[in-house]
Amino acid sequence: MTQTAEHKKTKKRKEIEKIIRAEDNWEPIGATPMPDVADLRNWDMRLLKTYAPWYAPFCDLCCFCTYGKCDLTAGKRGACGIDIAGQQGRIVLLACCMGLAAHGGHARHIIDYLIEKHGEDCKINLGDNVAVEAPNIRTVLGLKPETLADLRTAVEYAERELIHLVSALNTGQEGSNLDYESKALHAGMLDHVVMEAADIAQITGFKYPTSVADTPLIDAGVSCVDIAKPTILVIGHNPATSTNIIDHLRKNDLYDKVEVGGICCTALETTRYADKAKVIGPLSRQLYYVRTGIADVIVTDEQCIRTDVGIEAKKVGTAMIATSDKACYGFEDATEMDADEIVKKVVEEGKQYLILDHEKAGEVAVKVALKLAPQRRKHLLDEKEAQELAKSCRECEICERACPNLMSIGTGIRQAGQGNFEPLRQMVDECIGCGKCDQDCPRKIPIMRIMQAVAGTDTFKVRAGRGPIMDTEIRNVGAPIVLGTIPGVVAFVGCSNYPDVDDIVEMAEEFAKRKYIVVMSGCAAMVAGMKKDAEGKTIYERFPGNFDAGGVVNVGSCVANAHITGAAIKIANIFATLPLRGNYEVIADYILNRVGACGVAWGAYSQKAATIATGCNRMGIPVLLGPHSSKYRRLYLSKKGEDDWKVMDGRKREIVDTEEPSPEHLVYVTESKERAMVTIAKLCIRKNDTPQGRAIKLNHYISLYKKHMGSGLPEDLQHYVRTDKDLPIVYKKEVLTYLKEIGWKPKPVLSLPTLIGTYPTKVPLEAVIH
Amino acid sequence: MVMPLHRVNVLTGTKGAKVVTEAAEFADTIKRAKRPLFVLGPRLLGTCLDGKSLVEYALEIAKASKAPICATAHIRAKMMELGVKPDSEYDVVEIINRLKDPDWKGVRKEGNHDLVVFFGIRTDLGNQGLSTLKHFAPHLKTMTLCKYVFPNADFSLPNFRKDEEWKSFLETLVSKLKEEG
Ligand code: SF4
Ligand code: SF4
Ligand code: SF4
Repeated sequence: MTQTAEHKKTKKRKEIEKIIRAEDNWEPIGATPMPDVADLRNWDMRLLKTYAPWYAPFCDLCCFCTYGKCDLTAGKRGACGIDIAGQQGRIVLLACCMGLAAHGGHARHIIDYLIEKHGEDCKINLGDNVAVEAPNIRTVLGLKPETLADLRTAVEYAERELIHLVSALNTGQEGSNLDYESKALHAGMLDHVVMEAADIAQITGFKYPTSVADTPLIDAGVSCVDIAKPTILVIGHNPATSTNIIDHLRKNDLYDKVEVGGICCTALETTRYADKAKVIGPLSRQLYYVRTGIADVIVTDEQCIRTDVGIEAKKVGTAMIATSDKACYGFEDATEMDADEIVKKVVEEGKQYLILDHEKAGEVAVKVALKLAPQRRKHLLDEKEAQELAKSCRECEICERACPNLMSIGTGIRQAGQGNFEPLRQMVDECIGCGKCDQDCPRKIPIMRIMQAVAGTDTFKVRAGRGPIMDTEIRNVGAPIVLGTIPGVVAFVGCSNYPDVDDIVEMAEEFAKRKYIVVMSGCAAMVAGMKKDAEGKTIYERFPGNFDAGGVVNVGSCVANAHITGAAIKIANIFATLPLRGNYEVIADYILNRVGACGVAWGAYSQKAATIATGCNRMGIPVLLGPHSSKYRRLYLSKKGEDDWKVMDGRKREIVDTEEPSPEHLVYVTESKERAMVTIAKLCIRKNDTPQGRAIKLNHYISLYKKHMGSGLPEDLQHYVRTDKDLPIVYKKEVLTYLKEIGWKPKPVLSLPTLIGTYPTKVPLEAVIH
Repeated sequence: MVMPLHRVNVLTGTKGAKVVTEAAEFADTIKRAKRPLFVLGPRLLGTCLDGKSLVEYALEIAKASKAPICATAHIRAKMMELGVKPDSEYDVVEIINRLKDPDWKGVRKEGNHDLVVFFGIRTDLGNQGLSTLKHFAPHLKTMTLCKYVFPNADFSLPNFRKDEEWKSFLETLVSKLKEEG
């Protein structure tokens, strides 16, 4: 290093140390406090060596610049020199930057808003049972945040990194697909930082429940709202306005008189603030619900809102207010107008406004709902009316061509036209609510409205989001997770682009019954509650909300996903006492090799979801996706037994070829829930499992395999049996016969498996032997 | 360019499938292949043509082609019920991942495959997987037997409007494959 470089480095280091208050000696600082774009590149490359990117181009052309369009088919390069793999990496990075920006924008907005309300010195408060308050921020930045201002610092760091990441997308910058991936992994890691900042701010600023497992059960479902009451529908993710709606109702003694229901994560946020608010449903119910006209007012904030919601609202006579500068929809800005004046214009002239003052927006929403509701007639189609509308169906099947979930919706409509609603009833759970069928029908049949006749009147329960996993819980489950006796933590997260909405509850229940720890967030947390057993109970009523074997935990909205990675970090930090401060590689390495966690984003659709998953991947947590996610274009797959599975045995200090593909893939797509369940069990296997733990995990793997894949044993089973002590008793004889048949040999027994020491890194091996 | 049935699979590119309507042409291509492989998926379940399940059609075609089978998703269970153990059990993205490596030894360890026939995979996922092979596996050709156009395959069936057409194609294919020569 030249002197100037050294000098510069010192200056930069000094700046970092100032930001993270290095003099606070709560833990030693690791190798990478506030890492730059390239600081964790070697870690990424090590991961990408075993889990190589698998690309499925969704588009063979590039039209990013005026040199194009360029055809990148099968080895051709664009005018700038990029090839199809590079272009896929570039699009993945673009998606991850969008996702990071969406969560970062949310975090920045809500923190600024709450600082305005409570002051920047407002202390973070997550209750008595959460001392490690911000595991992601601590691990990545090295900062122990104490106030809202500290959370803003974390977001500012991510903002700074984001500019570098986006810059790499410009034509003539990055060229290697692997480097694009490394940058995408960086964006993913930062995403968990900003999500964590956002949710801690919300819990602190809005006094959401925290440090408890037993949060209230919330009414849920498309029929949960009393349509006789004035109804406000909130859509999006950011609770700044919805909490003000609740405040206004409470202040004016209207809390029981007006319905507030949410779609998408704002539903989860609002019900953390007010347990009488309702969860109407996930993203996939948005257009359906808007078109019922049940809402008197729609209030949008940010993310996952249908961009034509204003147009749709107008069609059914619902008022609409936008409240985020990220989604203004061309509306006139009424932020400075008098509230009553706005109400008058909305009610009398049908005006739609942008109101960026959240208190005012809350007041306007309530007043408009009260005034409009008595004037409106709300009515859901019954079968007779629906049949009348469906009658004109000519079986042209044009709707089916448009359907992105490949449904035979035309058949459903034709049958409905003949008075048979059963096929359509079955289809409702598959519909992702895009409205494309409606739009393309040459007979203008209102397919989505027809679905009103089969949507049912049942109501459900969803457990309110509880925020971070408590330190006390981590202390209880840390050992059994790392040893493998709790077979895994399975997190069902993300959006509702499902092949079938019922898949989620079925999978979650399977793993809860098997005593895995089941965690939920976002739309997945909502739909999990929207199914009842024979006794009329939802999954949240059947399983406890603790982070423990057999628990079903709803952490909250999308930004609460950071608490899931946070829990994995806390296992390393609290249970294994590894210092986490600025110590990303050590923590990620620990999680990859020892924490049997698996994310399941069965209906992932947004760029945000891609970013969350990519952040999990950098931290060593595999993610399983549903079939639609092949359109993300990129997976990280190993070549199973034939890949590089060498690790350092930390105690013996020698490199060992484990021959064990665990976790087998980092991000993976499968087509059916059956295969998904078998794969989830496998993805929870870790090199550190004790023989007892491994036997339990293999027991589940084999039993799920037999249940869904037929008789016999998985053909890769031998990879996961290290010695005969790993064999589950129930299948011991059968497995032994099989192993003998294929000539299996025992594998080396490991202590302290780690990748540190197997690739170039600044982290000394000592750092992982704690 | 031939449009796929499902709009989500519309090709944005220059290299699209050759749509084949003659079973004899498919039979010839399969016969000429040195190491064909059948990749079967879960959409074969629950569909029957005149009372005969698609799984049975698929197994018959693979048998007549003397080609190994890779069972994806959970299709294996049904195959086992029918008394057929698949030659391999990779999931669809996994088999594609292995196929794109020219040095892979194939499911019979005799060398990578030169023709891969996909049947029973949902069209969006299937078309994405075929995209991987189109771009990254110049050493092999791909073919589909579902009743839809898969633009990213090398050889695809047309969008059959009537199941009878499809049935007749599959049956002719079996008999052509069984013919000597
Ligand atoms: S960015 Fe490159 S590949 Fe894309 S259009 Fe421009 S020159 Fe072509
Ligand atoms: S609204 Fe539902 S049925 Fe219609 S095209 Fe979209 S997913 Fe298919
Ligand atoms: S597009 Fe319209 S007319 Fe055609 S099948 Fe669908 S619902 Fe019937």
